[in-house]
Amino acid sequence: MASNFSGVLQLTDLDDFITPSQECVKPLKLDNKQGRSVAKIQIEDDGNYFQVNQDGQMHKLEKARITLNDCLACSGCITSAESILISQQSHEELYRVLRQNKSDSIEQKVVVVSLSPQSRASLAARYGLSSGDAARRLTAFFKNLGVHYVFDTGFSRAFSLLESQREFLERFSRKEEDKKSLPMLASACPGWICYAEKTHGDFILPYISTTRSPQQMMGSLVKRFFSMQQALEPQKIYHVTVMPCYDKKLEASRPDFYLRESETREVDCVITSGEVLKMLEEEGVSLNDVNPAPLDTMFNNMCDEELLCHAGSGSGGYLHHVYTHAAKQLFGVEVQEITYKTLRNKDFQEVTLEKDGVVLLRFAATYGFRNIQNLVQKLKRGKSLYHFVEVMACPSGCLNGGGQLKPVADQSNKELLQQVDELYRAERVSAPEGDARVVELYRSWLEGMGEEQAQQLLHTQYHAVEKSTSGLTIKW
Amino acid sequence: MKDTLAILHRLSAHPESRCWYVAWHPLGALLASCGGDRAVRIWGKEGDDWVCKCALSDGHQRTVRKVAWSPCGHYLASASFDATTCIWKMTNDDFECLTVLEGHENEVKCVAWASSGHLLATCSRDKSVWIWEVDEEDEYECVSVVNSHTQDVKHVVWHPTQELLASASYDNKVCIYKEEDDDWECRATLEGHTSTVWSLSFDPEGQRLASCSDDRTVKIWKECTSDEDSTDGAWKCVCTLSGFHGRTVYDVSWCHLTGALATACGDDGVRVFKEDAAADPRHPAFYLSAHVPKAHNQDVNCVAWHPKEAGLLATCSDNGEIAIWNYQSDA
Repeated sequence: MASNFSGVLQLTDLDDFITPSQECVKPLKLDNKQGRSVAKIQIEDDGNYFQVNQDGQMHKLEKARITLNDCLACSGCITSAESILISQQSHEELYRVLRQNKSDSIEQKVVVVSLSPQSRASLAARYGLSSGDAARRLTAFFKNLGVHYVFDTGFSRAFSLLESQREFLERFSRKEEDKKSLPMLASACPGWICYAEKTHGDFILPYISTTRSPQQMMGSLVKRFFSMQQALEPQKIYHVTVMPCYDKKLEASRPDFYLRESETREVDCVITSGEVLKMLEEEGVSLNDVNPAPLDTMFNNMCDEELLCHAGSGSGGYLHHVYTHAAKQLFGVEVQEITYKTLRNKDFQEVTLEKDGVVLLRFAATYGFRNIQNLVQKLKRGKSLYHFVEVMACPSGCLNGGGQLKPVADQSNKELLQQVDELYRAERVSAPEGDARVVELYRSWLEGMGEEQAQQLLHTQYHAVEKSTSGLTIKW
Repeated sequence: MKDTLAILHRLSAHPESRCWYVAWHPLGALLASCGGDRAVRIWGKEGDDWVCKCALSDGHQRTVRKVAWSPCGHYLASASFDATTCIWKMTNDDFECLTVLEGHENEVKCVAWASSGHLLATCSRDKSVWIWEVDEEDEYECVSVVNSHTQDVKHVVWHPTQELLASASYDNKVCIYKEEDDDWECRATLEGHTSTVWSLSFDPEGQRLASCSDDRTVKIWKECTSDEDSTDGAWKCVCTLSGFHGRTVYDVSWCHLTGALATACGDDGVRVFKEDAAADPRHPAFYLSAHVPKAHNQDVNCVAWHPKEAGLLATCSDNGEIAIWNYQSDA
């Protein structure tokens, strides 16, 4: 099966994250009774296992069930990692939860869908709509299916951008004592993160920003703030995100984003833009025919009904925001316009801040596997001159993610990408620090709780993955 | 067969191990070999004997599968199962490791230099083909990573004059790559072999490509011209040499001086084919000119024509030996 994951992740071998090792490491909770354990196991015709005791008594043995959470927690499974992720996080799963809501009053869940700006732009392009229009119609579409709230990860992205800005200044301030503080490498792309954890491990991890991605920021917002505000237990919320790639499914499954006490993930299911299209097709609905619904004001990057966007790249604008903030805070320079210099290829761009012939800041954006390779190799040789790099696994960034809609009949990939890019940037630009609700959340929710807890909600950790050398795990 | 293939020398190059590959220095005075003993050895002539001038044993942690000299002759690249490719710089008769190219997920199967000397290609069991660029400061950077094969890529070879690359794989296919915009992509896929394609060799003009396979055949491919049917850039098989090899054909080498085609076979034999001058150029034909059935007492892994001296041929085998031959043809 041709893999849907990013090229970087494919080359990394997904199975090393959810390893098909031969032994399930997860200890199953068994009700074991002490005593003589001599028993016979009998397999019935229907496939059920029965233990036959010494006195002839038969007692049915419980089938060992490994749920997705267990599987990911223990890294031991026989099934291929990819097939687990695809089957457990799909639009089918969303339908299942919505159906369960309709039938079962006990297992009711509040369903929240968080749309990414990139997915919105991709769907907007297909239907010839503006991004804002697409958002309103998707809101209506999802709500008609039974979804309760439709949010925008453009909102949670404000937190990612602000935290990245702060983190950069902090790292810059200790660059003399800590040789691994700079360059700071962006962390929003899970394809890049998983590749880094697996292939370069402890060498590269200290450079990677601990700031959470917009998806996981929304995870914190929905399952910790929103749940508290709505007086709901986190596990009573089913949080779906709509993303431009499949790698985000892997990100949502990370143990770091699992809430142990509530036994729920911050993001329960990630579906791609393409999967939303499938849903529309299955429902026999065209977005053009859907009556738009108002956007949910709580977590949408908007002002007076109007959807807003952030400046910078189609992959989140990390370089743009960290650069302009650093230029101002460190050197008192107000950057009006950023000049990007294309280096080796169009997925490798550089931005420098110079004053009187001295380079004060040197930033770069490296997209795609070959450029990531060169970045890491240069870092290893101590030859990297950058202070910050926006790293993305997909050539041309998130707008070109593996889960985005494919071009229609006569359209070339290039033409479609251009169209999606235009739609993505068409909204009015807003500064993340300018959003009153973001500021309010920092003040009332985050600052109130103490630094350590806030750190947990806004930042994350990385773990070097051991390379599996067992001959049994080699795929020939 | 009036033509002959006579043994000149036998060297125990990689004792108690396999000798995987041999490569002649572009000027012809040196021969590099590599093997399962993780070493690269440089051989030169002293009087009438071939002696080991240098042994590079610390460059790799696992088998060295292939070695390749740069066109200028100052550098040697070694591709290893330890997933790295080492670039060695030769100064006088000494070698120093200049840099180690990392990035492949697992065993690197081949390394090849483009005729310009600025580009390098590597391929691996990880199914990918990497193209690297070297600048004036001897810095190597990855230009592209292409994933056109669905299985282990066994061999890569550059066109003798153009910036065109070919790769051979366990997926039975050969891929041709060209640069488009700022990226390399597969322009053509050559299908026809019914098993692993082990090696490739371009003819002296670069108009035809020879491939050899586990299916015991050697195929000759030619790029379709615009007047022929088929899509732009497609290649078709214009000749298949079958029935000559008893086992897998591991290597093929097209002599750039004489046009003779040599093969290395798993039946321990070395064969030389000559092109039938009378055949229609659109349907070339080759005949078996010389054959040494027990050239080595184990699989022959590699065959390499000398770049300057017509008829001089080097082979190496699973028994760790290198053999040097003289091919004589009346025609």
